[in-house]
Amino acid sequence: MGCNLDLLTSFKDNCGFGLVADMQNRQSHKNLEDAITSLERMMHRGAVAADGKTGDGSGLLLSIPEYFMRKIATKEGVDLPETYGIAMIFAKDLSDIDTFEEFCESNDLKVVLRRTVPVDTDALGAQALASLPNIIQVFVVPNTLMSSKRFDAMLYLTRKECEHKLIDKKDFYIPTFSSKVIAYKGLIMPTHIKHFYVDLRDEDFKISFSLFHQRFSTNTLPQWKLAQPFRAIAHNGEINSVEANRFNVEIKSEQLKSEIFSDEEIERLLPILQVGSSDSASLDNMFEFMLANGVDFFKAARSLVPAPWQNAPHMDADLRAFYEYTATAMEAWDGPAAVSLTDGRHIGCLIDRNGLRPSKYVITKDDKLYITSEYGTLSLDEDNILERGRLQSGEMIALDLKHGKVLKEDDINDYLKSSQYYSKWLNEDMDYIQEYIEDSFLNTSDYILDDLEKKQKYFNITYEAIDQMIEPMANDGKEPVGSMGDDTPLACFSQVNRNFTDYFKQKFAQVTNPPIDPYREKVVMSLETGFGQIHNILSEQPEYAKRLKTTSPILMKEKFDILHSFGHPQSPRYDEYYKNKTFSTTFTTDLKASLVALSEKVVKAVKDEQVSVIILDDRNVGEKAKLIPMAMAVGYINHQLLKEEIRHSISIVTVTGEVYDPHMAAVLIAFGATAIYPYMMYATTVALFKRKDLSKYELQRLLKNTQKSVNAGLLKIMSKMGICTIASYRNSGLFDVIGLSDEITNDCFEGAYTDLAGLTYEDIEKKIEKSHINAFIDENCMFPLDLGGFYKYSNGGEYHDYGPATTKAMHNKNANKKEDISDFDSLKELVETRDKKFIRDFFEFNSDKDAIDLSSVESKDEIFKRFASAAMSCGSISPEAHEAVAQAMNTIGGSSNSGEGGEDAKRFGTLKNSKIKQIASGRFGVTPGYLRSAEELQIKIAQGAKPGEGGQLAGHKVTQLIATLRHTVAGVTLISPPPHHDIYSIEDLAQLIFDLKQINPLAKITVKLVSSIGVGTIAAGVAKAYADKIIISGGDGGTGAAPLTSLKHAGNAWEMGLSEAHNALKANHLREFVHVQTDGGLKTGMDVVKAAMLGAESYAFGTAALTLLGCKILRICHTNKCSVGVATQDETLRDHFEGTVERLISYFTFIAEDVRNILASLGYSTIEEIVGRSDLLKVIDDDFAKKFDFQNILRRIDGVDTCQKESNEPFDDNKYEKDLLKKVHRTIENPNSPVKVNTEISNLNRSFGALISGEIARYYGDKGLPENSININLKGIAGQSFGAFLSTGMNLNLAGAANDYVGKGMNGGKIIIKPTHQGQNFAGGGNTCLYGATGGKLYIRASVGERFAVRNSGCISVVEGTGDNPCEYMTGGIVVILGNTGINFGAGMTGGLSFVYDPEKGFVDKMNQELIEAVRIDTDDTERERLYLKRLLLDYLHETESNEADRILQNFRSEIRNFWMVKPKNMTVLPLDPDEGD
Amino acid sequence: MLNFTKFERISPEKRDVLQRLKDYDEVYKVFGNSRAKEQSDRCMQCGDPYCHTGCPLGNFIPAWLKQTATKNPDLAFALSNETSPFPEILGRICPQDSLCEGACSLNTGHGAIAIGAVETHVSEDAFARGLKPKFSNNKKDGKIAIIGSGPAGISAATFLLRKGYQVEMFERADRAGGLMMYGIPGFKLDKSTIDRRMNWLIEAGMKLHLNCEIGKDKSAKDLENEFDSIFIGIGATASRYAGIEGENSSNVHLAMDLLTGIQKKNLGNKNSDFIDVKDKKVLVIGGGDTAMDCVRSSVREGASSVKCLYRRNEANMPGSKKEVVNAKEEGVEFVFNVSPKVIKTDGNIATGVELLTTSMSEPDDSGRQKVVINEGSEYLEEADIIIMALGFSPEAPAFLKELNVETNSWGGIEISKTFQTSNNKVYAGGDCERGAHLAVTAAADGRDAARAIMQILA
Repeated sequence: MGCNLDLLTSFKDNCGFGLVADMQNRQSHKNLEDAITSLERMMHRGAVAADGKTGDGSGLLLSIPEYFMRKIATKEGVDLPETYGIAMIFAKDLSDIDTFEEFCESNDLKVVLRRTVPVDTDALGAQALASLPNIIQVFVVPNTLMSSKRFDAMLYLTRKECEHKLIDKKDFYIPTFSSKVIAYKGLIMPTHIKHFYVDLRDEDFKISFSLFHQRFSTNTLPQWKLAQPFRAIAHNGEINSVEANRFNVEIKSEQLKSEIFSDEEIERLLPILQVGSSDSASLDNMFEFMLANGVDFFKAARSLVPAPWQNAPHMDADLRAFYEYTATAMEAWDGPAAVSLTDGRHIGCLIDRNGLRPSKYVITKDDKLYITSEYGTLSLDEDNILERGRLQSGEMIALDLKHGKVLKEDDINDYLKSSQYYSKWLNEDMDYIQEYIEDSFLNTSDYILDDLEKKQKYFNITYEAIDQMIEPMANDGKEPVGSMGDDTPLACFSQVNRNFTDYFKQKFAQVTNPPIDPYREKVVMSLETGFGQIHNILSEQPEYAKRLKTTSPILMKEKFDILHSFGHPQSPRYDEYYKNKTFSTTFTTDLKASLVALSEKVVKAVKDEQVSVIILDDRNVGEKAKLIPMAMAVGYINHQLLKEEIRHSISIVTVTGEVYDPHMAAVLIAFGATAIYPYMMYATTVALFKRKDLSKYELQRLLKNTQKSVNAGLLKIMSKMGICTIASYRNSGLFDVIGLSDEITNDCFEGAYTDLAGLTYEDIEKKIEKSHINAFIDENCMFPLDLGGFYKYSNGGEYHDYGPATTKAMHNKNANKKEDISDFDSLKELVETRDKKFIRDFFEFNSDKDAIDLSSVESKDEIFKRFASAAMSCGSISPEAHEAVAQAMNTIGGSSNSGEGGEDAKRFGTLKNSKIKQIASGRFGVTPGYLRSAEELQIKIAQGAKPGEGGQLAGHKVTQLIATLRHTVAGVTLISPPPHHDIYSIEDLAQLIFDLKQINPLAKITVKLVSSIGVGTIAAGVAKAYADKIIISGGDGGTGAAPLTSLKHAGNAWEMGLSEAHNALKANHLREFVHVQTDGGLKTGMDVVKAAMLGAESYAFGTAALTLLGCKILRICHTNKCSVGVATQDETLRDHFEGTVERLISYFTFIAEDVRNILASLGYSTIEEIVGRSDLLKVIDDDFAKKFDFQNILRRIDGVDTCQKESNEPFDDNKYEKDLLKKVHRTIENPNSPVKVNTEISNLNRSFGALISGEIARYYGDKGLPENSININLKGIAGQSFGAFLSTGMNLNLAGAANDYVGKGMNGGKIIIKPTHQGQNFAGGGNTCLYGATGGKLYIRASVGERFAVRNSGCISVVEGTGDNPCEYMTGGIVVILGNTGINFGAGMTGGLSFVYDPEKGFVDKMNQELIEAVRIDTDDTERERLYLKRLLLDYLHETESNEADRILQNFRSEIRNFWMVKPKNMTVLPLDPDEGD
Repeated sequence: MLNFTKFERISPEKRDVLQRLKDYDEVYKVFGNSRAKEQSDRCMQCGDPYCHTGCPLGNFIPAWLKQTATKNPDLAFALSNETSPFPEILGRICPQDSLCEGACSLNTGHGAIAIGAVETHVSEDAFARGLKPKFSNNKKDGKIAIIGSGPAGISAATFLLRKGYQVEMFERADRAGGLMMYGIPGFKLDKSTIDRRMNWLIEAGMKLHLNCEIGKDKSAKDLENEFDSIFIGIGATASRYAGIEGENSSNVHLAMDLLTGIQKKNLGNKNSDFIDVKDKKVLVIGGGDTAMDCVRSSVREGASSVKCLYRRNEANMPGSKKEVVNAKEEGVEFVFNVSPKVIKTDGNIATGVELLTTSMSEPDDSGRQKVVINEGSEYLEEADIIIMALGFSPEAPAFLKELNVETNSWGGIEISKTFQTSNNKVYAGGDCERGAHLAVTAAADGRDAARAIMQILA
């Protein structure tokens, strides 16, 4: 709390993983060798230190090598009985082993052997060696007669007890203690694991299965115990909801009844989760706990990582019942996950509902099962392969070793659904509130309030809040969109009335986990909410199905009344299971004491009166009664109930006026509220539309819309963190709490991240008092509400740093001469005297040197090199403005940023070329030529205005120019997905960086992150992924369009993130490898100097640059109506653009000179000397400033403060393609001499084709070479990103298969993949192939994985089957699928065409029909389409010799009836040119 | 909203020149509903509402424009009246082109929103539908005397009455309204609008004492004893002379005398000081709004010719641009870049003005151009009547001393940031404090002074 020092060294991890198993349970050394080889060949998925030895950890979880262990024991003179267990222990202190053995004895286990595991430390890097523990095996046998089940239970209990006892011994760790499995793992590179563990070299070391794992951690301080696999799982991915899950495990622990352990033993086992472990380790703890207590392997697995069922209409009803029953007590451990797991008898693998992690399997004819992140990690004989496939979203595959049987998804589901009478149980005991309601939102009696206006004023429902938020929600059913950035102070610094929820900043996923798209991938999302107790999770009972359910946590009068009636003794529906009691959350004096008293009342009611639904109600707020902020009440009570171990039996329902936007609702839910009845939102809506004289049905629609908007907003906020279900979001505390005292955050918001500890209960109470007087004493007369000023400037409202005065000062004069800089004096004055509005305003300079003469300070030209424009796309701003920015930056020697969305190739090589080219999630305009035109390639992970969200450019704004730049057709809506579909995790980012370093080896690769507590961890990971530069963007960054609550409530001030990232990089010794940049509201030299001292080496300006070009901060960018021609594509309005390059230059000159003056006054001659010198800043001497704790921002830890390396070189030098490039270079020099190369390829050869394509684009841009100039014939399994950014003229013919990202960003040429085993049942490519492709052809005569052709805008492709979400966000190109497709086909598809072969007639159900339609092509007027398809198939057949294509063409007349053509609904002219098809 | 590309800016319709010259009725017609809606619909609802910050009252302009555009006239009325004591009056008489409309983001190239016209519409439309300004029913104890019934005084009274304070207003003239009653001609502001506002104040409990001059009809001491606070809003009523030879002639008059005389006549009052300009050649010296009022009144009074003499060029005129346009339409002749040197007389009668031509200097650092006299350029403009419209200064009546209220060198009352004078019971605002300025700034002073008074009394 308060001091976030530990964050600097915290970590997130992702990886490569897999398993090898013999289906007949035959033990062999070969199985071990295969596991190790697979692991070795995924080394690029892990991280490697500079010594080439120290990795982030890897390991194997093996079946106990029976023969080997007996041999060892015998050698030591011990004769092992049939039942024995082995503990594998890491311990620095050998006396800990004694402790362990004591616990064994006390649990009836006899220690028969203590063995020091022989190791060869030559295999270790320095860091690993320094932290090497003693590695000891302890063999135990039952001391008395006990069943093997009891024996296993005792092993588990012993380990848990010992762990609890030695909790303070950080170096003590028990990797495994089991009779079935044993882990060999550590801080070792996979290649050295055998070298290190001498045991593994022994040919007698025979196993039947192995889970294996290679770790990529974001930090460089790996520990032995963090290596995976754990006791039962190996996990690739990240559990986004882990905070909520951990909290919920505590709740579930309150009442456990086990068949295996006595109540007393359960007490000894608790807590279930080891403190301070990773998300994966927590998941392992939970899974293992369930297994140890006899929960079925499959049920345990599927209750922790369920398939999406709430909104999956085609799911089998009984299976759905299993999930619905399970969900009464278990919520998903949500997030990207590929998990391999075992209980010793079963071994399996499952994948998250979004399919965000790859998991590929091969089954061989000799009964082996291999599962890995990538294909091709073992060189298998193709003839021996029975099946090559991958798990689809939410699927599981397993092996029953006892019966030697592979269990596929359907087998497992059949087992699950028929194991109990779930449907019957649910029918009997589950109630749905909706069933008791005729219709909702018709009874408005609760919404007519006598003192409405006073209450509105009290709840800060201003004119603006109504006008900007509530009214648009009511009208449109969705949260309104705004533009430009947030330029207001943090709530804790504000002098005006702010909502309590303003202290909370939403968390969002970046890099280590992806956000998801709640709109286009709705099928996985759910807000389903239930009331009732959490039962014992260790058994299944019919009565556990008892639950009162509703589809959203946002209630209205009707549902609230029903809920209330169930728990009210006077009601005929009364059921004591739902007994409720209402508590008023108002107080008169002493906030803290009132909060405590309220909580005591609640606890008492739960204990004494068996109340289970707690209703917190603020409706009686009034002249005498003030409000305890609802978030405070909920958070405090939630924690008290947990402390009292009664949290499992209650649901917290809030009846509150404090919720009228999605953010406010999210805060309450994240801190424990089950449901919310936002009566003031409805009351305001009713009052607002009352005068319109609407019918009650019209009013109903409006009220429904407000609820719908909040629902949609909640989904958006959850999805930002990659969380799909509200159950996994509840109790997560996923907010940064900024500016509240440690006391408050400890009491109420424990578990959330906090910073700037400051305002106390007394301070909050004073604020409450002030707004209370404002509402109930200071009445307005004519217009009863306050005007507002939070979103837009208003006199007397919130401070805006781009208020009218500042903007005017920036426009001050038409200075056209560069020298004319006095112009900005009034701006400087305004900014420097704004007085404690932003964090940096609380710091003043505190130099250790005397002032020096200005002449000895570095020149402004040196300083200019550090200036960049922030990313603004041509599209979000007009071409005139875009070019002016580029020209100005190039003139002074700074860099401009193209933003997302391409750049006119005419500008390349001129003064108007942007040195920085951005790669964003839409990949618009990302072509080889574009990438080669840059000196810096910036991967935009997140954007300050709306981190974790995608975007949308409405069709009417897509002009011809924009369409050309983005490789689409004018008028087509362009959607950017929330995640980069090739970055779901840190090793994916490393892969994209690798791709980009191949296509443009001369460019610096930068990664743009948004400030958030924990960004330091991410930054360290990004540095390890070989980025050259990291940008920490402030949450106040501008935008052309973003939902208002995102603009306002997501992303922190840059000061916080910058300082954290800088220090975390230092703590991990990575700062010298990367350059750090920041942006966010920088306006003057003072801002720049402070940013430098907090660790930034360069500085970007967005809004400031636009303001200088004439922007008046109208905040209407999203309307395309910018009256000054800056942020519009409208031709007429663009005529009003009056910005000049000179004016911009004069502004940057002012800043640079201002910087020089400050440097001189501080006694420093260069910026370089002050970077990271936070010691040159001190907190101002001011009473208000003293309230806050700035230590996290002003922290300066030891180490290098600036980047020392020219380039952050990847571990993999790609010698393979470099050699090939030499061979084909003659053709690049002389395009008229085609070349053919034959060679072999393996999964270690990644991004193949990008290096050569980059070399082509370097000279020829997107034009490339003449068709068929370079022909490369390959054999084998290609690595990731095969054919990425392929240039025209390149043909890649692969005899074999490829992994993820085939043809990513390809612009031309051909990729032909011909696996030996062809057709839809075999895989030819991995996930996310063709992402962002702009041209060329891709033919694969087998199936591909998830998200095929996402954001394709020009490639023509034929494949024989796909996973889920194919053709998502597609805007152009043509995709033919000659086999099965997964669900959610064509979500967000606004352009392009697809032909799908569907003989089984099941396709239409798999379409996401929001934007697309499927039509038949066997009619007269589809002749052109038919012809086109035929020609395309002929070409495909010719290139691939596909049996399926051959068969279809043979019977084309009849087969044509089995094709669907899928097109966007509003597309009238089809982009078909039959000549393209041959 | 945001329909500025669809609709052009349209100013309110003016009555035909020939018609309007015949009477003193208002020249501008009030917007109808659809026009007001359309013009409001052009508003961009800017993130930085420059109109709002450009308005001395800080009116919530974008808010009531939006409510007008979306057909919520009652809400528009409430929003408009919340900050302004008499928006329908200021909508008519404010120089919007240098305030809100001048600041409007659309004013560069698209044409500003017709804010003034919509403002007038909003309240007039509401009044026509029977709506009235609201005042508090919860009477409070504090008693406040207001000296002067001009814009500052009315404004202070309005905001005090809204909170339930007891207000008495003292006016030395026979009618309330101050400059708005006698200074501004009826063709700009219909006098009934002022009476309407005064009546509502009286309905709300204000006592109005007309023909009651402090220090004469009621002593300052009595006032100080009877009231908890006093607000002085007596304006700047001392007219300025040019200080040139011959200006004492009997046919050289002050602007305010001309205008007051005409207004009294129009109101049907007894009028001994009426200055008759019929069939006469009238010269008006000055270029501000008062000069415009004089020339346009003279035209209506039947002068044979009316000329306006001004030292600078047209671009530098301080008054509202639309007034100059209106004056020209009505037949007034403008003579720019001339400076009066001496008034030629024949006995006690002035016969004309000898003028020197001027030119404008290059702009200085602040962008302002200075007047340069062209030596030796003398020439004569003949006249039957000469009107001095050269601005006003505070009068500093004797009762200020009795109240221990300090004034500065030019007679302006000295106040603190909270409008307090050297007597902490006495507050002042408007022209008597800042010198001759606009009705809207006086209204803002009155309002803010009232808030300061309430802070102390509460």
